[in-house]
Parts: sequence; C-alpha cells; structure tokens
Amino acid sequence: MAFQPKITAFVCNWCTYTGADLAGTSRLQMAPEVRIIRLPCTGRIDPLFVIKAFERGADGVIVSGCHPADCHYNSGNYHARRRFAIFRDLLDFVGLDPRRVIFSWVSASEGGKWRDIVDSAAATIRELGPCRADTGDEGRGRLACAS
Amino acid sequence: MARIGVFVCHCGENIGRTVDASSVAEALRSHPGVVHAEDYRYMCSDPGQTLVREAIAANRLTGVVVAACSPHMHERTFRKVVAAAGLNPFLCEMANIREQCSWIHEDREQATGKAIAITRALVEKVKANTPLETIRIPIERRALVIGGGIAGIQAALDLADGGAEVVLVEKESSIGGHMSQLSETFPTLDCSQCILTPRMVEVAQHPRIRLYAYSEVEEVSGYIGNFEVKVRRKARSVNETLCNGCGACTQACPNRKVPNEFECGLGKRPAISVPFPQAVPNMPVLDRERCARFMAIRKGITKAVCGKCAEACTRGAIDFAQEDRFVTEKVGAIIIATGYQLYSIGKEQPEGEGLSGYGEYGYGQVPDVIDGLQFERLASASGPTGGRIVRPSDGRVPKRVVFLQCVGSRDPSRGIPYCSKICCMYVAKHVMLYRHKVHDGEAVVFYMDVRAAGKGYDEFTRRAIEEEGAIYRRGRVARLWRDGDVVKVQGFDTLSGEPLLLDADLVVLATAVRPQPGIRALAQKLSVSCDQHGFINEAHPKLRPVETNTAGIFVAGACQAPRDIPESVAMGSAAAAKVLGLFSKAELEREPTVARVDAAHCAGCFLCERVCPYGAVGRREVRDRAGRLVKVVAEVNPGVCQGCGTCQATCPGKHVEVQGFTDQQIYAEIAAL
Amino acid sequence: MRELRELAVRLLETSDVQVVIGWEESRRGVRPAFAQTPAEAERLVFDQRCVHNLAAYLHPRRKHIRGLGRPAVVVKGCDARAVAGLIRDNQLRREDVVLIGVRCPGVWAENKAEGQPGNRRWAERCVSCPQRTPTLCDYLIGEDSPEPSGGPGLEAQVERIQALPMAERWAFWSSAFERCVRCYACREICPLCFCERCLADKSMPQWIESSPHRRGNLAWHLARALHLAGRCVGCGECERACPAGIPLSILNARLQQSVRERFEFVVSDDPVAPSPIGEFRVDDGQEFIR
Ligand SMILES: Cc1cc2nc3c(=O)[nH]c(=O)nc-3n(C[C@H](O)[C@H](O)[C@H](O)COP(=O)(O)OP(=O)(O)OC[C@H]3O[C@@H](n4cnc5c(N)ncnc54)[C@H](O)[C@@H]3O)c2cc1C
Ligand code: SF4
Ligand code: SF4
Ligand code: SF4
Ligand code: SF4
Repeated sequence: MAFQPKITAFVCNWCTYTGADLAGTSRLQMAPEVRIIRLPCTGRIDPLFVIKAFERGADGVIVSGCHPADCHYNSGNYHARRRFAIFRDLLDFVGLDPRRVIFSWVSASEGGKWRDIVDSAAATIRELGPCRADTGDEGRGRLACAS
Repeated sequence: MARIGVFVCHCGENIGRTVDASSVAEALRSHPGVVHAEDYRYMCSDPGQTLVREAIAANRLTGVVVAACSPHMHERTFRKVVAAAGLNPFLCEMANIREQCSWIHEDREQATGKAIAITRALVEKVKANTPLETIRIPIERRALVIGGGIAGIQAALDLADGGAEVVLVEKESSIGGHMSQLSETFPTLDCSQCILTPRMVEVAQHPRIRLYAYSEVEEVSGYIGNFEVKVRRKARSVNETLCNGCGACTQACPNRKVPNEFECGLGKRPAISVPFPQAVPNMPVLDRERCARFMAIRKGITKAVCGKCAEACTRGAIDFAQEDRFVTEKVGAIIIATGYQLYSIGKEQPEGEGLSGYGEYGYGQVPDVIDGLQFERLASASGPTGGRIVRPSDGRVPKRVVFLQCVGSRDPSRGIPYCSKICCMYVAKHVMLYRHKVHDGEAVVFYMDVRAAGKGYDEFTRRAIEEEGAIYRRGRVARLWRDGDVVKVQGFDTLSGEPLLLDADLVVLATAVRPQPGIRALAQKLSVSCDQHGFINEAHPKLRPVETNTAGIFVAGACQAPRDIPESVAMGSAAAAKVLGLFSKAELEREPTVARVDAAHCAGCFLCERVCPYGAVGRREVRDRAGRLVKVVAEVNPGVCQGCGTCQATCPGKHVEVQGFTDQQIYAEIAAL
Repeated sequence: MRELRELAVRLLETSDVQVVIGWEESRRGVRPAFAQTPAEAERLVFDQRCVHNLAAYLHPRRKHIRGLGRPAVVVKGCDARAVAGLIRDNQLRREDVVLIGVRCPGVWAENKAEGQPGNRRWAERCVSCPQRTPTLCDYLIGEDSPEPSGGPGLEAQVERIQALPMAERWAFWSSAFERCVRCYACREICPLCFCERCLADKSMPQWIESSPHRRGNLAWHLARALHLAGRCVGCGECERACPAGIPLSILNARLQQSVRERFEFVVSDDPVAPSPIGEFRVDDGQEFIR
C-alpha cells in the first residue's frame, strides 16, 4: 500500500481554525491526512507538541495561525515565530528535516490557502517518507531522508 | 473512571453523505472510557439535545463529545445542554467532523476513518478536562472619562444618565474642547456654542458627574472593573469652593497683554482669566508664568508684588500659595477622549515624531497666513473681532481669501501620510461663512480631492461651489510669500495644467489633524497602544471600534483618528454604551479559560511576564509560616488574562497553564491522533 | 594569587561578605571552595585549571549555600555572563552578591586522563570566547594574557557539522544522544538550569520520557538546547560533566549562532539585556513561513 503520511496540524482558534472551517463551508476538497488540534493562539504552540507528535508517529506537522499584526491576542504569533525559527534551526542541525515542520499564516478568510497548505504538506511528506522518531532505529535513515 | 458519552450527528446529509455516522458511533463504543455512543440525524435539534441530556443522566457521564460541526458553530449550544443536565459545561468538547471532514472529502471510507480518529482524539482530551467555574470579578460601577471635548462630554452624560457615576478629567481650565472654539458647524451651519453650552452646563450640574477641570491623570493601576486612578489637580491659585465666578479678578489684573490661547493667539487676555464666558467650570486660572507677582518671585524679589486680583476678590478666593493636589479615584472602566491638535507648519517640530514644517510656506511666519481654527475664531460672533473677518496684520477686510487643503495631510514627506478627513468639509464651511460676511469677496480653494462622504456632506460642498461661487482649483500650492500688502500664492492647477500666481489678502491653511501632545505618555500609563502617528489603537478596526486592547479601556473621538463632531458624539455614546453594558452586572463574568500558575514549582524567572500581551502576569511573594520570604512567583490576574497561552509555551518548566488547553489535554490529543 | 587572597581576606574581615566562593587545590587538581574564614581564604587559587562555573552555586534552590550568608564569587568571563543571566531571570539580585572578576587567561581542556602537563591544550570554548574579562564585577584582578589559540574553536565545529549532509548530521547526533544515560549531570551543573522543577521531571504529562531510550533522549536534548537558546553562556560545564561524552557545547553554540544571526543577539554579561526569547520584533525574519 502506498505510504499514507500522518500529519498533525496545530492551529490557532481565531484565524486558521476558522479558515479551515471556511474551506469546509466552501467544500474545498483536500488531502485527508491532516488532523487538526485547536489551540487558542500560535503563542500557545510549544515545540514540545511537535516533538511529541513525531514521537507518536506523525510524519509531518503544520503550525498555523494569524498573520503578523492580525493576532487575536496582539502578539502571540510574533513569539511563536521566534520560537519556531530557532526550533527549525535546531531540527535542521541535528538532522531532522525541518521541511516536516510547516509553518504558515492562514487567516480566517483564507480557506483556499489552507487547502493549498494541506495539499502541499501532504505532498511534501509523502515525498519525504515516514518519520520514525517513534521507534528510532528503522527510521534513522528515513528521518534524515532529505537531500 | 471516565464515563464518556459520544454523540455523532448526521447533520442531515451534510455529514451523513460522506461520513458513516453510525460506524463512527460504533467504533467509539469500544474506545476505552466511552460508556455510551449514539448517532442522530440532527443533534442540535430539540430531540437531539434531549438525547444528550437523557444520556448524561442515564449513564452518569463524566464527559461528553459531540461529533458534529465546528465548535465555532455549536460549542456554546452543547455546553449549555450539558450544563442543563447538571454536568460542568467545560466537560463537553466538539469533534469537528463536518467542516473539517465530511465537507472536504469525498471518499466515504477515508472520511469515516478520519472522523473516527478526530472523535477519538477529542474523547482523549475530554478525559483530561476538568470542571471550570466561570470567573467573577467585582466591578466598581464608576467610569473615568479623560478629556472633556464633545466626545468626552457625550460619553460622560450618557453614562451618568444611564445611572453610572462618572469622573471627568479635563486638562484645560474648562471643558468643551475644540468645539467651543468653532463658529458654526457643518453641515447645518448651526452655532457651535449654542449646541455645546447646554451640554457643558448639564455636565456641571449632573449629580453623578464629578468634574476635575485643570487636572491630569497621573497614575493608573489595576484592571477592568478595578482601576485605581491618581488625578493631579493642578494649582489654579483660586480656591474652588470660595470662587463664585464673578470675574472681578480678571477685570482687576493689570497685565492684559497675554496672547489668548483660546483665541489661537488672535486676542489678548489678562494673567488671571477664564478662557471664554461660557466656561465650565466658570472659574479663573492664574497663569503663574505671566502673573507679575510670580514673575517677581522668580526674579528673587521677596516683597509681595501686585495682588490686584486678590484685592478685587470679595470672597478672598485668590490663593497664591495653592499647590497641586492629588486625589485617588476607584473606577471600573476608562474612556479616553483626549481629542486632537492641529499640525503646525513651523520649523520647530515635536521631537521623535518624524515631522517637518513647510519652509516654502514661510514656516508660519507670514502674517495673514492663518490656520483653520484661527479662521473659526475670526468668524465667531464671540471671537476677538466680534465675528468680523479681518486680516490679523492690518484689520482690513480681505477681498480674496485663498484656502489650502491637505496642508501636512496626505504628505508622507512631512511625516503625515493619512487624510485628516474633516478639512474638506470645514473649508467648504469657511468659504460659506466668508461669503456670507463679505459679499463681494472671492474665495479660492486649492484641493487634492474633495472628500465629502457623509449625510448631507456632498450637498454641502456643492453648495459652497455652486451657490457661493467658490473657485475650486485642483492642485497644490508650491510657495507662499509676503509681497508688500499681499500674500503671493504660487501653484499649479493640475486639471487645466496651467501654473497659477495669485495675490491673496488672506490665506487659510487646513493643517493636518494630529493627536494631542502627551498622548503616548498617557497611553503608556493606561497600557493601551498607539499607532505610528500617536492615535489610540482600537481593538479591531471594524468590529471593536471603541474598545482598546486593554479590557475595560475604551476610546472616543478624535484621539482615535481624525473625526468630526457627529462621529465623535457617536463614539462617545458607543463607548458609554459599552461601559454601561459592562456595569449592567454587579460582577464581570469571564470564561474560565485563563492561565494559572503552579506557585509551588514556579521558578520566578518571569519569562511569562515578559511575553504576556496583556500584562496579565504579576508577581506574588510566597512566605513561610514565620513570614520569611521564600520566593517570588508569577501570578496571573484572571481579570486581565485572555487565555492566549503564550506564557505557557514560553515557561521552561510549564508551570503556568491555560485552563481548557492544558498540557495534559493537548498531550492526550496528540497521543490519540 | 596574592591579589586574590588579600582581597578575599579583606572582604571577609571588613565587609558584609560571609563566604568567598572560589577554587582551592585538591588532590586531583583544583576544586570549588567556600572560604568562610581568612584562613580558608588564604588557600584560594586561580589559574588555567579553574574550569568550574561558580555561578551555578548561586541558584536559589541551593539553599545550603544561600544559608552560608552573603557571598563573594570569583568570576571568569563566562561565569560573569552566567551571573548576568541569573540576575536577568530574577534568580539573584545584583546587590546580594559581590563579584570578583578575574582577567581570565582561558582554561585548559579537561583531560580525562589528567596529570600530563605536556598534553595540555586550551578548552575549545576559550579559543572562541567572546569576552574573557568580565565587565559585570565589583573588583577586577589578574593580568591581561594573550588570546588562547589552538583547536578550531566551537564555531568551526558547528560549521563542520552543519556542512554535513542531513543524513550524516542525524547519524552523528542520534548516535550521540543514544549514549545519554539521563543522569542530568549536564542540567545540575548548568548555571542557567535553575528551575525548581525541571520539565524533564514532570509526569503529568510526561513530555520527556524518563527512560534512557532514543525517544526520550531526543526530546530531552532538543528541549534542553531550546531552553538555553539566547541564555547559554558557553561555559562548557554541561559537556565537562557529561559522563557519556556528548558534545553538548556544539549544540549550544549552534543555537547561539541562530539567535545571533536571526535576532542580532549575543549573550553578554549585561544583566539588563533581555534574552531574545520573550522578546520579538515585528519585522523578525520569516523566510520559513508560508
Ligand atoms: C478648523 C476646524 C473646524 C471644524 N469644524 C467642524 C464642523 O464644522 N463640524 C464638525 O462636525 N466638526 C468640525 N471640526 C472637528 C471638531 O473640532 C472635532 O470633531 C471635535 O472637536 C472632536 O472632539 P473631541 O472631543 O474628540 O476632541 P477635542 O475637541 O480635541 O477635545 C479633547 C479634550 O480633551 C482634553 N484633553 C486632551 N488631553 C488631555 C489629557 N491628557 N488629560 C485630560 N484632558 C485632555 C482637551 O483639553 C480637550 O478639552 C472642525 C475642526 C477644525 C480644526
Ligand atoms: S515562566 Fe514559568 S517559571 Fe518562569 S515565572 Fe512564569 S510560571 Fe514561573
Ligand atoms: S494566557 Fe496569555 S494573556 Fe493569559 S497570562 Fe498567559 S500570556 Fe498573558
Ligand atoms: S548549557 Fe552548558 S555551556 Fe551553556 S550555560 Fe549551561 S552548562 Fe554552560
Ligand atoms: S550529562 Fe550527559 S548523559 Fe547525563 S543527562 Fe546530560 S547529556 Fe545525558
């Protein structure tokens, strides 16, 4: 059977979650691999979530929230941006492909953009193959599957 | 042990078409902790809700997952249902299998599988949910209004009429703001004083309004419902309780040569004065900079000089020794209504604002080049000329007046990219006032566009052009200079393409509207934000126009953006309505999804304090039984916290947690997906 | 040495200092010392063997040391940066500590075989030390010395690893993390790991699995490194303490490079400069965001 990636999306309640709802209301069809976890704000999204998701068998992660200047809480997204900039540098350095962590800004009106993010995430992760941070061994080559 | 109930909705065909709801219920039935699972056509309908309620009772459920539409749609509905069944509403979660599943997939098998996965994750989350109680915060049902212009007056009166106590703080010696300086007002040309004065008097006489004129806000602490405000009552040198406003002192003062600020420098006033006859409160202020007695003291002369005012005052109200006093007021809400000031084309510009003046217009040094407010004073019946429009230089009636719009405004090179909004209208008004008074006078207007959006506004500007014969020239004026008796106006008509050189008797500049000086300092005291120009930021440009980002603090009038009177009044009323809404309950009820600190383990690094967008994190000392300081820990004020969770993601040890989105809950979801 | 001892004695005798934290000779080199009497102060030493970062003794959770009274601490450049970090993170008040700065010549790389003076080389971190002489101090002693040279320096090591293909980076780090026995010596010795209760010790939920297994090890090392981004002072203590020989300093250095390149932030001994985590700029780079 073809590889069916598991992708966990951490999204803020106000922009991206609403944008994803809008994609639904607009009946935009998209890849089925993404599962959303709703959080108040990107500011709440902790790199620990991502690490845990990988440990629990996720092959990719999406982090998404309000565009800069639109954060429902004014500045939560700016903090998230810094946090994830550093986190991705770290992942890259230890040889975990940062392309598995997709960060995007999707507003409440960007249902179409959300569909695109989901579809391209699914495509990217399918191409990268499984991330086996859950078991360690077999995945070792795979995790680093980049380049 | 968890006893979770799962309720899967078909939403008619909306979910049912691609997700097999009964298979979802079937699959969940065997999920650990689930004791009840069923599907139904419309879970949100009355029978659907009854189903949920009955199942809770019958199975003694400890948690509920409704697999249906988006929580944005029906989370509230189902939390109410759950509460009605006697379960804590926060033990109910929604699994979104419509917007985020059935509507976006076609393959029935795949969609059903995904719906099961989503629902399971929410079941796991619910197991980690804890009952939460609505947070109740007591509210001080008094409001502070800062600024007594028309916006602040309107807000204060609406609040007081609505039953709230009001503290109104005005920095000048009288309320009224800029409106008290206007002659007549667009678009109806009614006399400004005539409609304003009664409202000012109402403020003074209202039993529920406490007016602090000639006062400023010194310090603000606290949060929504519970602010504490320290007000500085500046020394008037007049005893407020003794003075009855007779004005004898102002008559007696020998120094009558002080430029009158209210008249925009066009008239003179004594060193002790009331800004205008209808002032509220009608009580003079002694200008210590200009008073002979104080000038002597500054020079080191010890003998008491002058004192004519004190001699004239039959009530002994003059108090040369008066000092600034401070009062503290407790309020539950604050409205900022500090209005605007006009940009000056002078060489000197306030530091740090990135503004520059107009050298090509002579930096404001050319006599007979005035600004809009000065023109208002000239046109005003109570003004320095008794309403005769004359030139400041020689008192002659000008036969040709040139009006320039957009001076500063829409000119990014001067630092003001925005439109000041009111100028198109008041220039049209000035044209009419001028033509009504000087029948043979010619009015020429230089404009970029005429922006007259508003009820009756376009008709008003058309009247200025069509009935009053004003000459509107589209274009900018490049240079102004004095040439003998006239002001030369060199410009360019961009419609006809011809260069223009006019001789004007008087030039009136419609200079840009800017926020009050000191607004940034005030904003900082209140922890609200300003935009790059210094206008107070509203919480949302469309949906929350009179709220600020700090709960309990509102904004009205021209301090938020350039505003005309109807808008300022509307905002004043809107802000008052918001405050009255807040005051309508004895306690403020807030969603309990706020952060809480685990004081036992908090290391007191205060990273959380640094990242909190609302300043909700404070510090608390932990002491042992003997009263010795053990440590200082973070503490979240539930009245201020909005529950964004930035603190939690930042805290290295995760010792602060947002209720409803705790690490346990998120962990459970991640693990289940 | 005289200068240090005289100062220490003077502080103990004439000022409100009850303990001077420094180093003394021991049978196996030097060790941290807590001099409470002038006699003990006479035993203090400072030289290239004084690798320990004494700032770690200032944590509020080390109650036994706080119990000794108001301390004076001997600080090298990196130690001073750590003290600044503690002040910034509200673990210590500036006025509660006296800082004896030493013009640090650099320290020797800890030679696990020990005792072979001929084999000495400078510690990697000292070769690339941003500031050997502290500015955050009340006294400054010692003499200027030439810059340590030798090994490639940490930056070069970071570059070397960063240049490897991703699979090899993973191979390198996963085999390193695999060796971790989760003794947390790195954490205990780190002057900036001051939390009363570490994330790694929490079980509700257990973000970091506690058994020394690949999964938990990866989570531990990522979380540890992240927490020190913009805070690690590069003292190398963690690596020195690690019984498994994991090159933690390289990981730490990579993150300091990250905050420097992205946020123009360099860890210094200025206690008022906030760390880059907890701050933001509206125009922070976002090339990785879609
Ligand atoms: C030349 C000209 C002509 C105009 N003509 C018209 C017209 O015909 N029709 C129309 O609708 N609009 C007109 N306007 C616009 C009108 O002036 C404003 O819409 C209106 O004054 C705004 O009211 P406000 O209460 O917001 O501000 P303001 O009138 O500026 O009042 C603000 C008040 O707050 C006080 N204050 C400021 N800072 C503090 C502080 N820190 N603490 C305490 N108090 C403070 C000020 O002293 C002032 O009393 C005109 C404006 C100009 C410049
Ligand atoms: S970030 Fe965490 S440890 Fe630090 S003060 Fe806040 S709650 Fe306490
Ligand atoms: S949840 Fe957000 S608003 Fe509440 S204290 Fe934490 S950072 Fe501040
Ligand atoms: S992480 Fe290591 S090098 Fe950095 S401060 Fe802590 S002990 Fe020193
Ligand atoms: S000291 Fe070394 S072995 Fe011990 S926990 Fe740290 S990295 Fe792992």
